[in-house]
Amino acid sequence: MTIEVLEPGALTTVQDSVGRHGCRHLGVPVGGAADRWSARLANRLVGNAVADAGIEVTMAGPVLRFESPSTIALVGGLDATVDGLPLAPARARAVRAGSVVRIGSGPDARAYLAIAGGVALPRVLGSASTDLRTGFGGYEGRALQAGDRLRVGRPAGGAARWTGAGAEGPIRIVPGPHADRLAGTTGLTSARWRIGTDADRTGIRLDGPRIEALGQEVDSMGMPEGAVQVPPDGRPIVMLADRPVTGGYPVPWVVIAADVSRLARLRPGAEVRFLEVTFDDARAAWAEAERQLTATEPLADDEADAPGGWAGSHE
Amino acid sequence: MIRPFGEAAFLVEVPDADRAQAVARRLREGPPGGVLGAVPGRRSILVEVDPLSPAIETIPEALERLVVATATDEPPDGRLHEIAVRYGGADGPDLPDVARLASISTDEVIRRHTTAELRVLLVGFAPGFGYLGGLDAALAVVPRLATPRTRVPAGSVAIADAMSGIYPADLPGGWRIIGRTSVAMFDPSLDPPSLLLPGDRVRFTVMASSP
Repeated sequence: MTIEVLEPGALTTVQDSVGRHGCRHLGVPVGGAADRWSARLANRLVGNAVADAGIEVTMAGPVLRFESPSTIALVGGLDATVDGLPLAPARARAVRAGSVVRIGSGPDARAYLAIAGGVALPRVLGSASTDLRTGFGGYEGRALQAGDRLRVGRPAGGAARWTGAGAEGPIRIVPGPHADRLAGTTGLTSARWRIGTDADRTGIRLDGPRIEALGQEVDSMGMPEGAVQVPPDGRPIVMLADRPVTGGYPVPWVVIAADVSRLARLRPGAEVRFLEVTFDDARAAWAEAERQLTATEPLADDEADAPGGWAGSHE
Repeated sequence: MIRPFGEAAFLVEVPDADRAQAVARRLREGPPGGVLGAVPGRRSILVEVDPLSPAIETIPEALERLVVATATDEPPDGRLHEIAVRYGGADGPDLPDVARLASISTDEVIRRHTTAELRVLLVGFAPGFGYLGGLDAALAVVPRLATPRTRVPAGSVAIADAMSGIYPADLPGGWRIIGRTSVAMFDPSLDPPSLLLPGDRVRFTVMASSP
């Protein structure tokens, strides 16, 4: 089964939710979906395995033609239609041979399209995710272009809708290993911030007050997702999927694992506030996010066929 | 010292890069319960854990024991790579500055860069980027650029902070570029995909000095 890319959208790439974990000691970034939670949910809704590759859509989405019948699910706040009719988010939808799926823009920066069976591409260094910086993996190591054709694997079956609720409120952080290097009183929690227009899959740069006087750099060390680095220019960067494996700038804070996905949804220019929590709170938040992933309800065949316009749950 | 790095990781500090590699290698081969991955750094290992693992309370202790146990681990026998470099000119725009900062001539910079046998301390920052230690003492005084370049051409050979490195692809970079090589540092279709592995040795050689 093939999907043809009619229009590529702003930045559309093949990503799985897992990324590459076997060769970080050789400098290979984890990569994969910037919003892993949404990518995982989308896969669940169409009966896919966790590591099945899907399509990450950024800011303004692609137009895709499905050459054969399939089941899809879109998770994330970008508006979409199937053959001109609204595609309800977080809910499996059957598409026919020749169906055209058009993903536009919306309140979120990113959304994830899962196709039953997953996008069938060779794994490179353990994953089908696209490494854009070095140019390997995914579809020829690059963003999708008009005319590209994606093959799809064999579906396992199943269609579901999400019945859960997403977390809301400030993005939660915990102290990082260099919390003691902060000079002055301005921190993440004491100011309002906006997502920088230069935010990308490597990291989210925050616009706001300068973070003061963290002194010299630190020894190169492994960087987890969500680490907030403060380079000499004082402008914090939150590490995302394509972050380099090691970094040498101080890390006074870490965005909790449960909230990295939420942060990755925010559009450039969007306002963001932070709240410091305890490690126990952070772990509880992760448990809650995992629980919300499993809040799904199977759809009968005719329900998956129904066009959108149904006001169901949104994350 | 072992401390948290967020709620889902620990930072294990060790005396040197070889120890970091040894600990990370052991964790890759046989991770204790709850450990999901390990990334060796210059003098540390980032150990990522399942935040909900029931073993999480015991992980710091297990890591401390591992640090002690690796005290006698021998680094693997690394290969020696001879890497030919075109020094100076358009290939090495920072060569004159490096000479000035080191208070020696550009020819002397090249001689000192090509005499020492350097060692791969760790591979990070980018796929295939090896941090090379053992830089000649005169060159070791040279710091990074005050303002990093937004784009360093692939193959650029650079030094900063007592280390040398080769940019494996077009990347932003803050190290001082003294030359360029055509040797490919990373190929994802190979196993291993990085030319340089931790513990390998590098000797730079002169291909031709640009005028």
